Amino acid sequence: MILNKSFSYSELPFKIIWAAIFLCFIGLAILKSISQNHVGDLLSNPFTKQIIFLIPALSLSFIIIHIPRYSIHKYSYAFYCIGILIVILPFFNQSHAGTYRWLNFGLPLSIQSSEFAKIFTTIALARYLSDNTLHMKKFTSVIMPIILVLIPTLIVLNQPDLGTSIVMMTPLLPMLYWSGARPFYLFLILAPVLSMLTAFDTTVFTVWAIILGITIISARPILPVSLFLFFGNIFLGLLSPLMWNSLSTYQQSRILTFINPEKDPLGAAYQIIQSKTAIGSGGLLGKGWGEGTQTHLKFLPVQESDFILSVLGEELGFILIFIVLSTVGFLISQIIKNSYESKDRFSSLALIGVATILLSHVFVNTAMTVGLIPVKGLPFPFISAGGSFLVSSFIMIGLVSKLSVNYVD
Amino acid sequence: MLKADNLASFKQYIFVVAITWILILILLLRYFQLQILGYDQYSKKANTNRIRKITTSAPRGLILDRNRQILVDNLPTYILNTIPGELVDKKTTFKTVSNTLGLDSNMISKNYKKYYRGKFIPTRLAKDLTFNQISRLEENRIDLEGIYYQQFPERYFPSKTRASHILGYVKEVNKEIRNSFLKRDEYELGDITGWSGLEKSYEEFLKGKRGVQFYQVDAFGREAGHITDFLPVDPEPGQNILTTIDINIQYIIEGLMSDKKGVVIVGIPETGEILGAVSAPDFKPDLFTGRISENDWKSVLSDHDKPLVNRFNRGLYPPGSIVKMVTAAALLDNQDFDPHKTEECLGAYQFGDRVFGCWNIEGHGSTNLTSAISKSCDIYFYKTIDYYNLDVLSDFFMEFGFGQPVGIDIEGELKGIVPTVDYMNKRYGRSGWSKGALLNFCIGQGEILVTPIQVFNYINLIATRGNASLPHFVRLNKLKKNKFINIKEEHWDRLTLDMKEVVMSPSGTGKNADPGITGLQLFGKTGTAENPHGDDHAWFIGWMEFNGVRFSVVVLHENGGSGGTVAAPIARKIFENLVKENNLISQK
Repeated sequence: MILNKSFSYSELPFKIIWAAIFLCFIGLAILKSISQNHVGDLLSNPFTKQIIFLIPALSLSFIIIHIPRYSIHKYSYAFYCIGILIVILPFFNQSHAGTYRWLNFGLPLSIQSSEFAKIFTTIALARYLSDNTLHMKKFTSVIMPIILVLIPTLIVLNQPDLGTSIVMMTPLLPMLYWSGARPFYLFLILAPVLSMLTAFDTTVFTVWAIILGITIISARPILPVSLFLFFGNIFLGLLSPLMWNSLSTYQQSRILTFINPEKDPLGAAYQIIQSKTAIGSGGLLGKGWGEGTQTHLKFLPVQESDFILSVLGEELGFILIFIVLSTVGFLISQIIKNSYESKDRFSSLALIGVATILLSHVFVNTAMTVGLIPVKGLPFPFISAGGSFLVSSFIMIGLVSKLSVNYVD
Repeated sequence: MLKADNLASFKQYIFVVAITWILILILLLRYFQLQILGYDQYSKKANTNRIRKITTSAPRGLILDRNRQILVDNLPTYILNTIPGELVDKKTTFKTVSNTLGLDSNMISKNYKKYYRGKFIPTRLAKDLTFNQISRLEENRIDLEGIYYQQFPERYFPSKTRASHILGYVKEVNKEIRNSFLKRDEYELGDITGWSGLEKSYEEFLKGKRGVQFYQVDAFGREAGHITDFLPVDPEPGQNILTTIDINIQYIIEGLMSDKKGVVIVGIPETGEILGAVSAPDFKPDLFTGRISENDWKSVLSDHDKPLVNRFNRGLYPPGSIVKMVTAAALLDNQDFDPHKTEECLGAYQFGDRVFGCWNIEGHGSTNLTSAISKSCDIYFYKTIDYYNLDVLSDFFMEFGFGQPVGIDIEGELKGIVPTVDYMNKRYGRSGWSKGALLNFCIGQGEILVTPIQVFNYINLIATRGNASLPHFVRLNKLKKNKFINIKEEHWDRLTLDMKEVVMSPSGTGKNADPGITGLQLFGKTGTAENPHGDDHAWFIGWMEFNGVRFSVVVLHENGGSGGTVAAPIARKIFENLVKENNLISQK
């Protein structure tokens, strides 16, 4: 049942739009504080750079509102292929400090193509899942979506960009769940990951093996399948120490220093310690705008993007952190609400995918600043400085606005 | 193909929204934990991050003579520090430093290791830099991030005297020394601390208090603005120490002993103030400031005469005849003793199956107490055995301050030995010694060992009839008295007269000590102490009275030979000079 109605601006999801703009303003206020004594051209000043990038960001989201919904649906796979292409292209460029994340068109600016590829992947996944609803009770129908997501994810992982590849992968599970996949299948998708992670501690691995066994038995698949699932996972777990060695040293060090921060007080753990110090010393009300000693004496690293929330915590205190996180929570749950109320499955799934991308950004970034997870180079939506990321965030807002409105075009 | 209906159920919707808010809530709780519960802890941490505390060393107190002339001064030099955490590239920076200042780069890295105590604690790289070197450093400031210099007062000895054993020396505080201190927080590595002599005894007064300055620094350790919430504390200079030393007297006696081994102490009997004291051989006082060559240092260490040993409070010597006044006082105290009765000295005395000789093997002939003292006859004093046993006699020695430290304000004083029955039993066993030991003891030989500072106190006691204050080097507001000695006035008269005979009589053993100056009264006693390790030690002790003031003198010429012929002439020169300097020596 799709309402036959013409497009009207008044129907746009303003709660979501205003929340995003509010967060954007908070971000600008912090960037202004950081760049107070900044010398250099406009693009090296995070505040002015952010304002400049708001122009394409807002324009693109405005354009998306006017793209017909069926075009988005129709060209989903095309976009997906473009996404794959743009994450492969950087490998033919020169590397930036050993990474291939940046796409350069000969402009003074480079584009982090994975920021866009993650949206295209989500749309393609929404398309696939909305087209193939009926088979979702079968496990084999989960394989195609996994492949769909895994291709760009693995490419991005090799750029290497662990943070973005995680973000790219996270929509998979919620979208499968949303389209009615058996929770047991979702468990089976997660199981190999858990098998690998738990393999580093014998006790934890034993407990995991018991849980795995019980879950498989209670789902009652036929015996050969059960045995395959169980021993397959155990085998993977035993393999994981080998895979660990294949990780690059910087990834290993990030994980290791997270487990034991004392190990490298000047590397990744230094960043976590300084971030926690900045946040903790902010207290309830903060040290005042522009008064953060951790920020302005440069103890805090990457303060304009990865650790921007630490600046917020230090200068404006817990009150503003509370407001920002609540706003983000509100924004995401509004998208989920629109997804639930959406009339067609494609829109609903795409909205869930976008909500997941945003939530994973928020959670990974924030949890990193407070030392709950290892340092990942992931920015906070709407607040962190960043050209490609800001544009892609507003593209998502445009997409959400478009898909939230129930009408036929 | 947008016809597929949305099949998401309400249950699914609630589940996903719930997960979203649970994640947000986890983050909020964590922020609450850090910002609200951990606020104090992280505030402190943020402050330690940005606040750099730099302590400035306080100039050490000066050591002055009794006329406020400077014995020990401070010389301003520069030291080079680094804050390790601020070094961008340690190797290159150190190289630049060594090139700019012309210093050995090995020494710099060696010092760095030696003084390193923490990432943000100033670590010394070099010392004794000149103003010139510092100027060159300033010119290359940009390449020397994390390198600082500081004025640092070194010990410096401007006077003509050495007085090395009195003043003592200072040592640089290293990790080991610092850890051994109770008040280790008051010292930084590279500070100086008194290590011997007055520098050590009066460390508390001399050292002063370090000052503190606070700077705000950024993450790269660069200074970034002032701090108003912590006020700087200026260093408190150490207190000056006013000693009893008279530079001129000290200079004279150092000259007298320059080519000898032994001790000279000159002082004021009533107060116990020491005007000069020499332990020869001594060493240059700046030996320990680190500016002397390796060879000089080695020659001091390997010197057979042990110039580093402070003989006046750590040298143990047989006193010989100089203690005969104790024996005389003991005899006089005895009812049965008659000082006028004469004894025949034939040069030897038989006790049991042993023969005890007089130093004059030809004998002194007929001797009474006065001539026994003035001629230092041993045979006469052997009679003590008829009146006293060992313990009673040692009690008399103890009364005159032997066998216990006099409490001189230079550490390490030894207490010497006064033999008692207990002592003899312990040392030789109950049957390992005979009563004859007393015969040696009463003439200052045998087991008895004294320090020159004890002898100084002893002569002061006789000069003042028991009213002398204890010897000391630093002027005191309240003098410490010796214990009361219970001797009759008339006995003091006798001892004084007899001691006058020693010097002033033509037949006195100490006549060489008399410079023959009108109005100068001299009292003394010589001693020629046999010692098992070598030649006899020559002693002269005594005091002079001139224009109503008294000065006491102790001369010990180690292995010098006869007291009368070796030590007394040294004393004569001292008396001559004391008469000359008399008016210049402040009695206050």
